[in-house]
Amino acid sequence: MGLGATVGADLLSVPFPKMVFDLARAIAKGQTALDRASLGTLRVLANTEFDYIPEITEVIAPGPVDTAGGVPVTGVDVTVRPTRAIPLTLLQAGLTPSFYQFTESVIEVKMSISSKVSTQSEFEFGIEATASAGFLFASGSVSSHVDYRTSNTYSYSAEGSSLLRTTLKPVPPPARMMPRFITVNTLVQPPQITTSE
Amino acid sequence: MNLENYRMYLIAVRGGMSDEKSRDLQRFVRHCEGFILMVTRTGPVIAIDEAKSTLVSNHPLVEFMGPVELNPRGFAARQLESIFAANLGKQVELVEGESALQS
Repeated sequence: MGLGATVGADLLSVPFPKMVFDLARAIAKGQTALDRASLGTLRVLANTEFDYIPEITEVIAPGPVDTAGGVPVTGVDVTVRPTRAIPLTLLQAGLTPSFYQFTESVIEVKMSISSKVSTQSEFEFGIEATASAGFLFASGSVSSHVDYRTSNTYSYSAEGSSLLRTTLKPVPPPARMMPRFITVNTLVQPPQITTSE
Repeated sequence: MNLENYRMYLIAVRGGMSDEKSRDLQRFVRHCEGFILMVTRTGPVIAIDEAKSTLVSNHPLVEFMGPVELNPRGFAARQLESIFAANLGKQVELVEGESALQS
């Protein structure tokens, strides 16, 4: 198998579909948990009551003038009349839970693949000749050798890293999760009905 | 003072609210550089840096802590806003005064 094919196979072996699926599943789980938490907040807001006093009337009326050391001091009476307290929940009063939504998700996979092949060959050729001669005979020999050495070095490394990034943003509460407020104002005739969410 | 990452949270106090619990929790919130916007029967409404919110939500007195927002169409939204602003203003003033003394 060629090097290109190995690199290609390694790139193909990145479990991309699984990563996308895992990220999507994690986002779905996270979104559910966030929505549950927001609904929990909604419940607490709807169950927390307080007494709302919309108006306090202060009536300033002339009062008996008093003297302190011969100096006349205030001759005013202030009567404070709060209107009847209205029990309100924090939700009615104007606090709503924050809802969040995953708006963007990014999967980034980085791979670094390096491969190196080096071939080293050594060739050595030698020849040796000897000759000798005597009175009656002569002899000679020739020998030669060939050395051939070859070595292949093959190195291959693959490194990978992945990054999953999601963006979470506050969004308006889903319409179906928030109650509608229907106000009937009977102070005016005919009664005025206003609906708000 | 930079309040850019501050968010509002409603806290429900574990086992019901009492003066002592409220004080302890408020002290802890202040220790985490948060501010008390209002105290309700369930618990305080606070403003705290998002990054530090988990410190408060993990406090043993906290049963529940959830992010909240002001709904301008609420019955008393304007009043709530002015209460929050007044309480926040007083506390920020104190913090800035303290840091001015230290520097």
